[in-house]
Amino acid sequence: METIASVQSKAERGFKYALLAPSVIWIIALTFFPILAAVRYSFANYVLGEGITAYVGFSNYARLLTDSGFWYAIFITVIFVGITVPIEVCIGFVLAWIITIGVPGKKLFRPILTAPLFTMEVAIGYLGVTLFTDQGGLFSTILGALGIHIEWLSTASGGLAAAMILDIWIWTPFVFLMSLATLSAIPNDIFDAAMLEASSHWQVFFHVAIPLAWPVLTVAILSRVLEGLKSFGLPYALTSGGPGTSTQLFSVMADLTTIQFTDFGRGSAMGILYLIMVSIVITFFFKQMRKRID
Amino acid sequence: MDNLLWRSSKWASKLVAMLIACLALCWVAIPFLWAIGNSIKSRSAIFERGAIIPFLQFTPTLDAWKEVLNDPQAINCLFSSALVGVGTTAFVLLIGTPAAYSLARFEFRRVKSKDITLWFLSQRVMPPVVVLSPFYILLAEFGLIDTWIGLILLYSTFNLAFCVVIMRDIFRDVSKDVEEAARMEGASLWQVFWMIALPLSLDGLIVTAFIVFAFCWNEALFASAVTSQHAATMPAFILASRSTRGVDFNFAAVNTLLAIAPPVLMSFFVQRYLARGLSFGAVKG
Repeated sequence: METIASVQSKAERGFKYALLAPSVIWIIALTFFPILAAVRYSFANYVLGEGITAYVGFSNYARLLTDSGFWYAIFITVIFVGITVPIEVCIGFVLAWIITIGVPGKKLFRPILTAPLFTMEVAIGYLGVTLFTDQGGLFSTILGALGIHIEWLSTASGGLAAAMILDIWIWTPFVFLMSLATLSAIPNDIFDAAMLEASSHWQVFFHVAIPLAWPVLTVAILSRVLEGLKSFGLPYALTSGGPGTSTQLFSVMADLTTIQFTDFGRGSAMGILYLIMVSIVITFFFKQMRKRID
Repeated sequence: MDNLLWRSSKWASKLVAMLIACLALCWVAIPFLWAIGNSIKSRSAIFERGAIIPFLQFTPTLDAWKEVLNDPQAINCLFSSALVGVGTTAFVLLIGTPAAYSLARFEFRRVKSKDITLWFLSQRVMPPVVVLSPFYILLAEFGLIDTWIGLILLYSTFNLAFCVVIMRDIFRDVSKDVEEAARMEGASLWQVFWMIALPLSLDGLIVTAFIVFAFCWNEALFASAVTSQHAATMPAFILASRSTRGVDFNFAAVNTLLAIAPPVLMSFFVQRYLARGLSFGAVKG
């Protein structure tokens, strides 16, 4: 028996490593080496076609850290995430709650309300140009009829606000979907029992629904923050970063620096600095996921 | 749903709840309807006030659709998007699913399977701009700029971790007893994976495939960075058109619809497991 068991476990060992190896090798080769390469480029002057022409020490970093444009891009990215994510979470969760407790037609609401989640950000950004332009755009026309004139696409704050509105349109469904799945999984009896005890719906909402959904909600919030910090397609397609560079979110700026201006050294340094800053959020995210993955 | 909470509500609060839900439906529908409306308007009808209902208030025309569908570059980009999306999905499932199964079923000597899974996840949450330079340089060195293979290579890298994490979660739901019974009957480890675990996880596999495909289809940063003509996908095409054409209502509407239709339509068919997939398994159900 022992020999059969050991032959079996030997086969098992070979099997499990054979299945796992390709993926691990792929990720090491195509993520960890590229990150190391990015670190190397960030200390260098890289010219396309020639390669590294000189190592420049920390000068890429020093120039970035003293560049107000760099800090401005980070600032508006944080503002962007700081405004959109809370709104998405509130609206998404309340909608999920309303539909869980009883608004008829759950089968209809769910697929339609989640549809924006799968739309292409670039396409929505481009469509957004026609929604927000003051020459016949939908929003401007409606608001204009009400006597409100907002310069959506010709000012920094207007452009950012328009991008935020569309971001909320696309991503609220994400929170909605997570919340709906979580709330639906809570047995009805719990809400019924809570209703008998509680004096109002609000109490059930705040003292039962939110606490029960909170663990999943944290994962949803952190995922949204991480994705929001990557925002590229939507703001870029909507405003092209303009007027000037005033609506260049971080990824847009990094993309222009690296690809348009082919400044790979500076682009790499931007990426590395960003990774260091974002890793604060990533750490929180991992603490949560560690609890959720078994 | 018939529960106490809803039954005991005042009619006024029920009404408010329904009103909010309907407002949400309208809010979601507006951009879609706006795009559909503009795509069938003539250039002059676009700026006419009160031209809202087709046939009644304006004469619909397919001119804008014809124009876009006759543009070889638009067709080429749609094709590239589809090819890159399908290619990446196939490749990612091919190498990611076995790894996911291995992590779901077995323990490893030095590192826990859970920690390997989190390691995969770490790759997924990293901001992609970090590897923009090295990937561009890598592709340039191998002559893969503006090729389908180059894009598939990049997208596989971004989605492999996702596939491993989510499929592992799905495989853990497959009963071990069934697998052990099959082993007793003399099935090999490979047969158990291929003929039992995989078919039992088909729903999860389909959702994973869909999410990977949708990600590839919608990805813009690398699409615009490493392609220009031949392998340009829809996001790259739209970004390029945006700067050459400026604000063109018809063109924007038609391209938006073409670009968003495939994943949105597909999403209606894979509702189950969507929340689970998008949350890396944090949500069960």
